[in-house]
Amino acid sequence: MEFYTKETGEKNNFLALALSSRKNLCIHPEVSSLRFGKEVDGKCHSLTASYIRAQRHSNPNQPVCRFYEEFDAVGRQVPIPSGIYNLDDLKAFGRKKGWCPYYLARYSILHANIVVYSYHYLLDPKIADLVSKELAKKSVVVFDEAHNIDNVCIDSMSVNITRRTLDRCQTNSLLNETDAAKLREEYRRLVEGLKEANVARETDIYLSNPVLPDEILQEAVPGSIRTAEHFVGFLKRFLEYLKARLRIHHVVQESSPQFLKDIYEKVCIDRKPLRFCAERLRSLLRTLEIADIADFSAVTLISNFATLVSTYSKGFTIIIEPFEDKTPTIVNPVLHFSCMDPSIAIKPVFERFQSVIITSGTLSPLDIYPRILDFRPVTMASFTMTLARTCLCPLIVGRGNDQVAMSSKFETREDFAVIRNYGNLLLEMSAIVPDGIVAFFTSYVYMENIVASWYEQGILENIQRNKLIFIETQDAAETSMALEKYQEACENGRGAILLSVARGKVSEGIDFVHHFGRAVIMFGVPYVYTQSRILKARLEYLRDQFQIRENDFLTFDAMRHAAQCVGRAIRGKTDYGLMIFADKRYARADKRGKLPRWIQEHITDGSLNLTIDETVQLSKHFLRQMAQPFRREDQLGLSLLTLEQLQSEEMLQKISQIAQQV
Amino acid sequence: MDEEPERAKRWEGGYERTWEVLKEDESGSLRATVEDILFQAKRKRVFESHGQVRLGMMRHLYVVIDSSRTMEDQDLKPNRLTSTLKLMEYFVEEYFDQNPISQIGIITTKNKRAEKLTDLAGNPKKHIAAMKKAVNSMCVGEPSLYNALNIAMQTLKHMPGHTSREILVIFSSLTTCDPANIYDLIKTLKALKIRVSVIGLSAEVRVCTVLTRETGGNYNVILDESHFKELLMYHVKPPPASSSSECSLIRMGNLRLTPSSDSFFKKQHLESSDGGPGLTLGGYYCPQCRAKYTELPVECKVCGLTLVSAPHLARSFHHLFPLDAFQEHPLEEHKGDRCAYTIKVFTCPACSSVFCTDCDLFIHDTLHCCPSCIHRQGTS
Repeated sequence: MEFYTKETGEKNNFLALALSSRKNLCIHPEVSSLRFGKEVDGKCHSLTASYIRAQRHSNPNQPVCRFYEEFDAVGRQVPIPSGIYNLDDLKAFGRKKGWCPYYLARYSILHANIVVYSYHYLLDPKIADLVSKELAKKSVVVFDEAHNIDNVCIDSMSVNITRRTLDRCQTNSLLNETDAAKLREEYRRLVEGLKEANVARETDIYLSNPVLPDEILQEAVPGSIRTAEHFVGFLKRFLEYLKARLRIHHVVQESSPQFLKDIYEKVCIDRKPLRFCAERLRSLLRTLEIADIADFSAVTLISNFATLVSTYSKGFTIIIEPFEDKTPTIVNPVLHFSCMDPSIAIKPVFERFQSVIITSGTLSPLDIYPRILDFRPVTMASFTMTLARTCLCPLIVGRGNDQVAMSSKFETREDFAVIRNYGNLLLEMSAIVPDGIVAFFTSYVYMENIVASWYEQGILENIQRNKLIFIETQDAAETSMALEKYQEACENGRGAILLSVARGKVSEGIDFVHHFGRAVIMFGVPYVYTQSRILKARLEYLRDQFQIRENDFLTFDAMRHAAQCVGRAIRGKTDYGLMIFADKRYARADKRGKLPRWIQEHITDGSLNLTIDETVQLSKHFLRQMAQPFRREDQLGLSLLTLEQLQSEEMLQKISQIAQQV
Repeated sequence: MDEEPERAKRWEGGYERTWEVLKEDESGSLRATVEDILFQAKRKRVFESHGQVRLGMMRHLYVVIDSSRTMEDQDLKPNRLTSTLKLMEYFVEEYFDQNPISQIGIITTKNKRAEKLTDLAGNPKKHIAAMKKAVNSMCVGEPSLYNALNIAMQTLKHMPGHTSREILVIFSSLTTCDPANIYDLIKTLKALKIRVSVIGLSAEVRVCTVLTRETGGNYNVILDESHFKELLMYHVKPPPASSSSECSLIRMGNLRLTPSSDSFFKKQHLESSDGGPGLTLGGYYCPQCRAKYTELPVECKVCGLTLVSAPHLARSFHHLFPLDAFQEHPLEEHKGDRCAYTIKVFTCPACSSVFCTDCDLFIHDTLHCCPSCIHRQGTS
């Protein structure tokens, strides 16, 4: 920033900021100490909601958040000085001024040049209209790291209801004690409120709410749920119906029209009032002046489900399972209302914004994304990495030294020889790779099995003579502890191995720069759990609607996760790392062809189907080669350009050649 | 674990791809690449010398040799330890040849401990003998970088400020087992102006990168045996003295060999009992106290004066005035001038006489002055 000001000789009013949840941004001493996001939201809400603050005028003892008060009093008039703020900068700025960083960020979005936030703020219909509705139509939306965008879209539209959710609804105060006077008052406000909503929606620039499409809003709230008493009764009836549905002993799968028909026959609930459920509940909660909205999450979930199920007839499916997959004997019924079609959630974004860019390091193969997201791309291009030296070394290990094929294929994964060979591979690598190694397994269950077996065979003990071993678990706190210790061990020369799981926390968000990840080993191909009914339903839908074969999609999904995992090792031009794919299936053209181009181009015929010994030799050579001094001058003209080079005609041509148009 | 079989047989070792370095030209001949490789290697060292810099003439160097389990690896022939010690012998000789008034000491580290093989001393024979003995020692456990550096530091910190304090670590393992935080030690080393360089035998280890960067040393990883030798030889040349190191005048006794008849008493015998040369007639007398020594350079045991001979000083002196790198020309311009077969020829910038690659190396590495220039000075 300072560099730009100096170079261009003028001050630019450039503002970039990051936005996150209250949990990450809160600086209130009490509230920020809470551990869960929901608690923080609830507590914050109870300190800053408008009616609470109104009460304070009459009752000065009512607690409020002084940071918010301060911000509300002064902060809105004074714009935040231009600059680039990340979350910590925002917090520091907030502390200095005594303003709430969260609301400051929310407010500053309106005049910021660049806003960075989570996908959910744009895709999740429940949050999107709070945060993103005032963004200008001309803004450019960039989805970075978008290789998982379809899953995010689906998650944002899917609802899972367990018996516990229903129980919590049941015990909720709202449905039990009903204050008649308050409810009546609420009804009067509702009539006014709906009018307001109408006015707001008419100015078309707002992001349309996919939960409640425009045409529905034009209609009035149906009479049957217009008064609050009726609505509460209505919700109760709906709840009873859901409970009845969960009391089953076999798996049911049905589409939303089927569900609606059933509900009409059994408890006489029409489709129309269901649609308004979410909106109605929101207005009710608002007018009832309920401070801690965290208690109402269960009820909100139910009402969202009601609205979604009645609004969309296509692209969704309802699956009711009496048992969980892992524990087939314990009754734990779940109702999955799952979205099959990611294009539903992303459609409003495409419609509203002029340019949308989807980008990621592992977006491969490119042509599948337009198909599953249902859009027509203006331009598609894939770039290779321009490197001054070949700093990545992908190796496909297919056999052990005893020539037994290594694979995590279902039939052979329990095979003693395969597990032993995997162990030997890790052992050999731990002896020659410096500092950190990250190993990925296909699932937690598989990892537990293998590690137990290694322990019995004494492999684990041998590995520990070379490096310390850390394991990722499903507990987030435990994992972050393990990560911290892992980094410490890498830092002071002891060396460490991190065993983790593809699709886990480590594989997605955490970078292993330089010495933190000199080698990544991928044990097996990370296919999703194919027996899941939701996945099966989705595959069927993909086949029927988009003509994508099941196998194609599964391979695509597995390879993007594999690429994501091994990509953790290379995080910069000066970085280097080994990428070891330990499964003979990677050598096949259909798997290899789905890796991103920047990995693919470094896989030569010589690095396919290696044995462990050959891998060790190649790795040793590679590591020594990479340890040779690497100067800045070597990069010049290749991966580092001077200003003159950048402007030269020749270089521009070269760049356009690299971009492979699809 | 004792059950583990020794990987001694040749065919049990790993695959090696020695042929990968070579590339054929269009006619399928390997000669061009081989020549090119040789030529590049020869030229490299000359290029790296950098004009007039102040160099430290009196050096105190501790060499830390890793003797952990990984030294038994057979990627250097016959194994890493033997190969390292052999190269070290050569290094010690070369070191004293180039830096006659400097001292060296050797530390080994294994089994999480570090011990001193030899103290800081100026006598190459003692070091070489100690290393010859060490070849047969067992390589066990893990090295401890911390302990090794700590031992070296304890001695080096008492060395006078006008000399250089250096540690060279030959590190084969990828791990280190340390009793305390090594980053604190690195800070101390930096404060004491001890320069630590590392030669890695397997791969780049983070802690060494930090160590060398902080203390101003070099970090290199070997590619093969010849590269290893080259990297070791790089440390023969004294490092540039930092401008902050003090300057001082040192008293030295400059001696000549004096033949004498009184061969019955030798100071030399007092300090080295390991059957050195027996009774000799010749010897050096300390100008202050008249103590007698058979070998130079040495620090007088009686009065503490540094005793050197004129050639020693002269050899150290050339570091102060290094010979400029010769200019490179293609062969065509000087066909049939002199010397044997070579790819390129070199001309001295002062007298513009022509030399081949081998002569060029000989002049820069051994003579340190251009014979043609000297010849001219003599005649004029």
